[in-house]
Amino acid sequence: MNACASVFQQAATEYIDSLSNCEGEWLTEQRQAATQRFTELGFPHAGLETWRYTSVEGLLQQDFKITHRTQAFLQHEVIQQFLGEPVAARLVFVDGIYQPNLSGDTGQAGLSIGSLRAAMAAGERSALRGVGSLSGIGDHGFAALNMATLQDGAVIQVSTGVAIQQPIELLYVATKGLSGQVQHTRHRVVLEAGASANLVERYLSLDSESNYFNNLVCEISLGEGASLVHQRAQEESLKAYHLCDVHLDIQGDAHYQGVNAALGGAWSRTTFHARFGGEDANCELDGLYLAGEGQLTDFHLNVDHSVAHCESRENVKGILYGAGKAVFDGLIHVREQAQKSQAHLYNANLMLSRRAEVDTKPQLVILADDVKCSHGTTVGQLDDQALFYLRSRGLDKDQAKRLLSLGFASEIVDSFQSEYLRDHLREEIVKRMSYERQV
Amino acid sequence: MLSIKNLCASVDGKAILNGINLEVYAGEVHAIMGPNGSGKSTLAHILSGRDGYTVSDGEVHYFGQNLLDLETEERAHSGVFLAMQYPVELPGVNNMTFLRESMNAIRKARGEAEIDAVSFMKQVRHRAKQVKLDEKLLKRSVNAGFSGGEKKRNEILQMMMLEPQLAILDETDSGLDIDALRTVADGVNLLRSPDRALIVVTHYQRLLDYIEPDFVHVLASGRIIRSGGKELALELEEKGYEWLQEGAAA
Repeated sequence: MNACASVFQQAATEYIDSLSNCEGEWLTEQRQAATQRFTELGFPHAGLETWRYTSVEGLLQQDFKITHRTQAFLQHEVIQQFLGEPVAARLVFVDGIYQPNLSGDTGQAGLSIGSLRAAMAAGERSALRGVGSLSGIGDHGFAALNMATLQDGAVIQVSTGVAIQQPIELLYVATKGLSGQVQHTRHRVVLEAGASANLVERYLSLDSESNYFNNLVCEISLGEGASLVHQRAQEESLKAYHLCDVHLDIQGDAHYQGVNAALGGAWSRTTFHARFGGEDANCELDGLYLAGEGQLTDFHLNVDHSVAHCESRENVKGILYGAGKAVFDGLIHVREQAQKSQAHLYNANLMLSRRAEVDTKPQLVILADDVKCSHGTTVGQLDDQALFYLRSRGLDKDQAKRLLSLGFASEIVDSFQSEYLRDHLREEIVKRMSYERQV
Repeated sequence: MLSIKNLCASVDGKAILNGINLEVYAGEVHAIMGPNGSGKSTLAHILSGRDGYTVSDGEVHYFGQNLLDLETEERAHSGVFLAMQYPVELPGVNNMTFLRESMNAIRKARGEAEIDAVSFMKQVRHRAKQVKLDEKLLKRSVNAGFSGGEKKRNEILQMMMLEPQLAILDETDSGLDIDALRTVADGVNLLRSPDRALIVVTHYQRLLDYIEPDFVHVLASGRIIRSGGKELALELEEKGYEWLQEGAAA
């Protein structure tokens, strides 16, 4: 265990002590076990396959602190500017802490939604609705730290057969106040059999210089025949660190349709773990990452076909510019008994600069013999003919590049159901790419 | 308007143009004809600023400016337009967004105000109707999945919206059936005006049945070997290019 890890271990222990056992025995035990796990694991290192291209040194040098915060403040007017389409429920979090006064009405028949902090304070295990049931106490150091020092998040449950039409939004806004600190967030989402919902997660930084570490875990269980649309947009500052493990448990006939945009962060790492628990389930995921000067964007997939007749499709695109770096690591595992599986995995990268770098590794491990599987990767540049075409119509090189890059991204952006988010993300992509030019 | 003097150019060391001379004045329509490989498309590309060509000799002046010194987009700003033989497909780039950004880029470069959304929509609908381009295609990605005819109609639509001073049509007739050819030609004819010049590059005479040229030039081995009026095109149709090439060689 290195010096840095021991500092974190110390901080985690102090954090748990500061809670003074007010959360109930079960959770306290989990926190302690996770601290122990972290002590054993330490921080991930390049010797581990899924961390091979990702150095955590940059993060550790930031010297982020785990502190026991319970309050944050932001004016209502500031939040207003981030609100898009009408929602079924919205939880607003400022610096990782739930703000009931800024959040909307959350009452709706068949929908139970509240903050993780409130659920933890209730002291009953049932209020947590199975937190940790998909992730365990943590399969890498950061995940263990998350469990050890859980601060807040969302706990959402949709009852059997209930369809929540409008989005359920989790809006995270980081203020300057979060700088230098770690935010440990966890979401637990349960859709009971036949339920359907549309979950939106947004992560924003108010200040472009904000430097903090957002360490998240999201556990989603879809019961038989349930259906979830999941839209994630990470637009944090270029100095923020964003780490998220999404765990999906998809029961028979259930359908998961996710889209993830990772635009910000000095380092941003998103991992999707999907596991099928019954036949005829379906998992679709679209992803977009941007990586510019000083950014490392990591995208990992781990899809486990352990039962027959399931389908998975992942399409992840990246735009790299400046000295941006990206890692794509997609693993689809089709087990021996998972006959008639369909799995398709694509990763395409657009390199706008000679200094940009991508390490891409799509992998299919197929042990069943009657399956339809494919994978593909491309790493390319903008087409000269297309650039000439646009310039011959009066657009300068930068405009032409921007328009073509947006064109490249549009397949993914268009898979956001929210029109507000689609428009907003297009603007945000352009803004981030233009910012690059001025540097 | 356009003055080409002894233009010589090569691609990868291979000479393609061997001393082109051409004067184009406002209001004129020039047809450039010639067999495959004679340098017609190269000439069109060099005028619009495409990379990959080396100009070894000669000059091109456009309204007194050295055209070859200008970037591709600067040529567009000063009114040069190339309707491409093979319009590029741009997946994910919305056709209307592209048109509007192009118009505004040109307006901005000329110090004019950007076009407002309402006027733009009105104009684009009107023009699309004129070239018989399905309005649905305006909302789709530029040329992506368009038929050959739709791509060419889209080129003419762009030309109409951007209102160039010098429009160069590179084999716009290729791949068109007779109805599409007529629509495209009608669109081009609508743009004919005393202050605008057109250069129509074509392999076949048939486009010239619909776009009547003031001058016809025959290009062979990178040189203009014969210039004449519109009757020259008819003579070529009858006798073929060999007739002139033999004459030129003699």
